[in-house]
Amino acid sequence: MSLILKNVSKSFAEKQAVDNVSFSLEKPGVYGLLGTNGAGKTTTIRMLLGILKKDSGEITWKGKTVDRKNVNFGYLPEERGVYPKTKIFDQLMYFAELKGMKKDEAVKSINKWAKELKVQEYLPMTAEKLSKGNQQKIQFMTAIIHNPELVVLDEPFSGLDPVNTEILKNIIINLVKNGKYVIMSAHQMATIEEFCENILILNKGKTVLQGNLKEIKETYSANRVEIHVKQDISNYINEYGLTIENEANYNYIIKITEEETAHKLLNKLITSNIQVDKFEIKKPTLNDIFIEKVGE
Amino acid sequence: MKDMFIVMKFTMKEMVRRKSFLISTLIILVLIVVGFNVPNLIKKFSGEKSNDKLLIVDNDDVFEGNLEILKQLNTKYEIEIGKATFDEVKQKIENGDIQDAVIVEKEDNTIKSRYVVKNTTMMKEVPEGIINTMNSLYTSLQISKLGLSEEQLKSISPNFEFSLEQTDTERANGNVLVMMIMSMILFFGIYFCVAQISSSITTEKTSKIMETLVTSTSPKNIIWGKTLGIGLIGLCQMVLIVGTAFFSAKAFLDKELLDSVLDMSNITVGLGIITAVYFVLGYLEFALLYALTGSTVSKPEDIQSANMPVAMITVVGFYLSYFTMMNPTSELNQIAGLLPISSPLCMPFRVMMGISGPKDVAISIAILIVTCAIIAKVTIKIYSNAILNYGKKISLKDALKLYKQK
Repeated sequence: MSLILKNVSKSFAEKQAVDNVSFSLEKPGVYGLLGTNGAGKTTTIRMLLGILKKDSGEITWKGKTVDRKNVNFGYLPEERGVYPKTKIFDQLMYFAELKGMKKDEAVKSINKWAKELKVQEYLPMTAEKLSKGNQQKIQFMTAIIHNPELVVLDEPFSGLDPVNTEILKNIIINLVKNGKYVIMSAHQMATIEEFCENILILNKGKTVLQGNLKEIKETYSANRVEIHVKQDISNYINEYGLTIENEANYNYIIKITEEETAHKLLNKLITSNIQVDKFEIKKPTLNDIFIEKVGE
Repeated sequence: MKDMFIVMKFTMKEMVRRKSFLISTLIILVLIVVGFNVPNLIKKFSGEKSNDKLLIVDNDDVFEGNLEILKQLNTKYEIEIGKATFDEVKQKIENGDIQDAVIVEKEDNTIKSRYVVKNTTMMKEVPEGIINTMNSLYTSLQISKLGLSEEQLKSISPNFEFSLEQTDTERANGNVLVMMIMSMILFFGIYFCVAQISSSITTEKTSKIMETLVTSTSPKNIIWGKTLGIGLIGLCQMVLIVGTAFFSAKAFLDKELLDSVLDMSNITVGLGIITAVYFVLGYLEFALLYALTGSTVSKPEDIQSANMPVAMITVVGFYLSYFTMMNPTSELNQIAGLLPISSPLCMPFRVMMGISGPKDVAISIAILIVTCAIIAKVTIKIYSNAILNYGKKISLKDALKLYKQK
């Protein structure tokens, strides 16, 4: 195992920010850290980066206790920040040198990532002249410039357009292919579902759910059925005592408690000569699970 | 250590690249050069001005033709002796032939003299030197008529010798003005630099770069790197300003005038070293305090109010040393030389005055070093816990809580 957090807690004054949190990263991949605002994600991240001291528990990386001095993780904070009046190249060099890179290595790395992220033309410019999206790409470069084994990405896609989101997604996929460990915190559940094999959901500093995302979803029974037809079928739905969650252009999302009821409805529609274009029994999404776990 | 130098180098680069820094330094240097050239410029624009012409009118021959002696005296006037009526004198002044006139008249047994100028609102002063010389001349003239012997003459002109003595055992030497100027330069040098520290830290918090920075190196390296970087630039700026002032004074000012105002005879290499040591320690002390206040705010508009308590301490230290310089042997000045808030400004002055010896300097520096060490410990601890706090300004109570935090 590479990163292990064991019974980690942290409090500020009377507030328990993180309460007995444990998780581990066993192999390279993307690990999802979820929670509402103020759930304790940033505090957990800061502790595992070694910039905030924990009150209790243990954090180790490859068997060694994590300390600011002995780890060199990459970090893209949720708070986007660059030196506004400093040239991009200079600030990237500054952080590369602080992360222990030699000048020539740093120059090579800056040029390589600038090419991949399509920001070469911005290197001689000051940061204040860049759009927010491009500033974010520069900050992403700061996080990975020194080729860290573990990268923590806090809301990496927020504020990016679809083209840049795609560029960043491909880089993250390549990082994992190259054996990197990634911890990702995001509010877009679809992104987490796309990338993460394992997740942890925090609420008020406590772990409310954690484990393999696929296995978690399997423990949930189907709770919706989607039916696409060419006419109004609300009478049939009401007949079986079901609730319509959403309807648009005869595309129905219907809440179910048992799969059997959905099949009965389908039979009824067919026997009533109603053409069914789509019938899909759906398991809860991560978004549903998240709301169920942390929704008040 | 390596990281500290990287932060220091980056801070220095950032500072010298700032247009505001470059422009303000350039303006100061230009002002210094122009300032020292003011006497030359005045001369150039008004032409090489000859001495004022002063006409001494002795219609009644009171001085019996002896006034010509005055012409040989070194006065700021070009003296003319003659006879004229008041109207003629008036006309000469109106025409600009002469600037002023002294009219000596005898009425019965009284000798009257009138000093005539074009307009009294021009704040013309009566030429006391000339009047006194005329008095002496007249007295000598009358005495010589009495036919006194040399001994009798000696007895009425005792020629008193005056000397200055003091009852205090401590004696202060040196030029107070020079040290007051030095003290002000030190104060503004320190004050300018330390304000940069706090604004630099707050800017990093405002631009949210702090989170990235603090994961790249330790708060200790950030604080020391910034403090040393800004301090070195400040020191270079001060050397440049003082150097420009020194060379401008040498090049453009009249040597006699310079020597009469600024007696530099007590400025030695040793004093220079002591002053530099106090500048560095004084700068460190206040820089660390300003780093602390800078880390407690997240918005640039809050910097001023956060800096207020430290600014008060700085100003109190400055005034304590500045005003006690008027009375350098006083106990208050002695205390100011030991107090860490005032010693960086006061002690070099006391050393130059010769009223503080090596023992006093050693004690004062030891107190200052211990103070710096304590402030550094507290600042780094609070800074480490405060820099990731965004939102409202941190109060003193919160700062103490942060200090106690792990």
